[in-house]
Amino acid sequence: MKEPLAMAYVNMYGVLGTLENLCAMDRQAKEILQSLKKPVALCLSVKGGPCCTFRFSQDGCQMTPGPEGCTCKMHFASPEKFNALIDSGKPGLPAKHPVQLLSFLLGPFTKLTDRLTQLLRPDPSAMEDPDFFTESTILTMYTIAGAISALANTDSISKISASYTVDGEVSLGIRGAAQVTILVENHRFTTVKAPAQHPRAVMEFDSVKLAHGLFTGQVSTINALCSGSIRLRGMISMVDNINRILDRVSAYLA
Amino acid sequence: MSKYPEYNHAKSHAWFQRALKVIPSGIYGHLGPAEGLFLPLEKWPLISAKAQGAYFWDMDGNKYLDLMCAYGPNILGYGDPDVDRAAMEQLMVGNCTTAPSYKMVECAELLTDTVAMADWAFFMKNGTDATTFSVMCARAATGRKKTMFLRGYYHGNDPWAMKADYPGILPEEVANNIVVPWFDLPAMERAYTENGEDVAALIAQPYDHGNFADNRCASREFWSQVREFCTKRGIVLIIDDVRTGFRLDLAGSDHYYGFSADLICFCKALANGYNMSAVCGIEALRPAASALSFTGSYWMSAEPFAACIACLNKLKAIGAPALFRKTGEALTRGFQKAAKENGFDLVVSGEPALFYLRIANDDSLMLHQEWVAECVSRGLFLTSHHNHFVNAAITGSDIALAIDIAGDAFSVVAKRHPELG
Repeated sequence: MKEPLAMAYVNMYGVLGTLENLCAMDRQAKEILQSLKKPVALCLSVKGGPCCTFRFSQDGCQMTPGPEGCTCKMHFASPEKFNALIDSGKPGLPAKHPVQLLSFLLGPFTKLTDRLTQLLRPDPSAMEDPDFFTESTILTMYTIAGAISALANTDSISKISASYTVDGEVSLGIRGAAQVTILVENHRFTTVKAPAQHPRAVMEFDSVKLAHGLFTGQVSTINALCSGSIRLRGMISMVDNINRILDRVSAYLA
Repeated sequence: MSKYPEYNHAKSHAWFQRALKVIPSGIYGHLGPAEGLFLPLEKWPLISAKAQGAYFWDMDGNKYLDLMCAYGPNILGYGDPDVDRAAMEQLMVGNCTTAPSYKMVECAELLTDTVAMADWAFFMKNGTDATTFSVMCARAATGRKKTMFLRGYYHGNDPWAMKADYPGILPEEVANNIVVPWFDLPAMERAYTENGEDVAALIAQPYDHGNFADNRCASREFWSQVREFCTKRGIVLIIDDVRTGFRLDLAGSDHYYGFSADLICFCKALANGYNMSAVCGIEALRPAASALSFTGSYWMSAEPFAACIACLNKLKAIGAPALFRKTGEALTRGFQKAAKENGFDLVVSGEPALFYLRIANDDSLMLHQEWVAECVSRGLFLTSHHNHFVNAAITGSDIALAIDIAGDAFSVVAKRHPELG
């Protein structure tokens, strides 16, 4: 069962959080950002739930928790309302400076989220292009990484796994392609989209192809472990617990 | 140059590839590379060809001094002649029969004579069967719903014993589980009150021998307080002695810690590898045990009963628990000395007969995993996350060999990590 509040955090930190990586990696997204005449800081605030500000400029996108410095704000009356908006893919109306920023929401923002959807929910034929395949898989990893922490902190089942996870950094990655860090402090998880400085546990997939197979359920994690194509080291109890949360991520992002 | 050359595992790994094609995970569960943490995989044997005494051999003919003992069942040594003879003789006269063999009665009599708290014995096949039976028995006897666990618990694979975040487990299946920390009587009291006093059982291992962490032994005082807590409130006290049973005390690990359980679960060491488990209980719980609908096709097979009788009698004859303590102490003393000589801080915890090891030079277990892998690939079978087991077949020269291989493996890891020097 998906819990609306946890889903809102997954949508904010997992799905929309991947806009940062999209803007850094994707040629089309970079072209969309070039149409911005001035930077925009859009705050999405969910009553009783997450609140984050996305700063868009020609240089990229940066997401930070909280409303500080926003130039455009959208309020959502409940996690359900926010989740419905993400599901529908329509941006809604801003509550702060609505007229001035409507063009951003209906223009670049919608184009960016549409591009993100193309990559996170790819058409099978598009995945035949090796570059698209790689980009889609790496962005999916970033989405999953954001969702792991979102669920560990908010989903009632995932919180059980979090409660058994010791402190430290867990390095998750695809060899030669991308690395993320799940930082655990007192059973609270934070996703850092950068390599771990002092990993206490490491889980690394040996190829983008393997990562794609695991993310889409086409490859068995256990079989991959047994065949040595997933490399594990360190405090494996941390990885065990993250794997349990990954089961929940699959349910939420399905 | 390493004194003990690394093994080649080509044939074992080829067999494992065959297994992967026809068995999910190839080898599933605690004996497999995923749960068994074979890190890195290439250092480990996966499939065995034979076993004898303290050793097993893999498909490449490599010989391993086995300090995991099949995760416990091997207590006298693989292929113990007395146990195997008793089992084979029983096989020749009857095993799985419509009317159970008299060996079942003899086995129950021996168990009730051996285990201090036991007024009766009930037989099944696996540790999970025994813990499930015990919780059902407690519910039937008390008419209450909830079960209290100590944090980090493992009591088998049935849904009631799992956690809600495990694959395939429904929240409803664990909704009546209460988890409290180890060694925290006030938390136990609070949990009891907060759950409306609707607690049928407290189930616990005799001490905290969880994985990935130093094991914490209990005190007699702790168990005395828990016993009193349960008695006052009519809670059935279940001791899960599946892992520790007969390694600390032939009269039961509750006896070792100076208290008396209401139900006690045995499995691994009961019959030196022949497949059976048992629950022993107090007289007051006999009606509830009798009332349960709980049976299985092979639960009254005679061969394991004959093996169990031979095994328990031999454990008594050799004074096994004292031997296991001595062996565990000698091994861990030697491992620590070898570690120190190579610049490693090896922490030993838990009961000596079931020692847990951890290299403390880093907090990630990565160095520890490297060392364990180098030991395994040179013929000393250890694990990096679980307590170890010893058996009665381990000799003084085996202990010396284990320490020598451990020292060699430490030197290999030390050379790989000059930064530690």
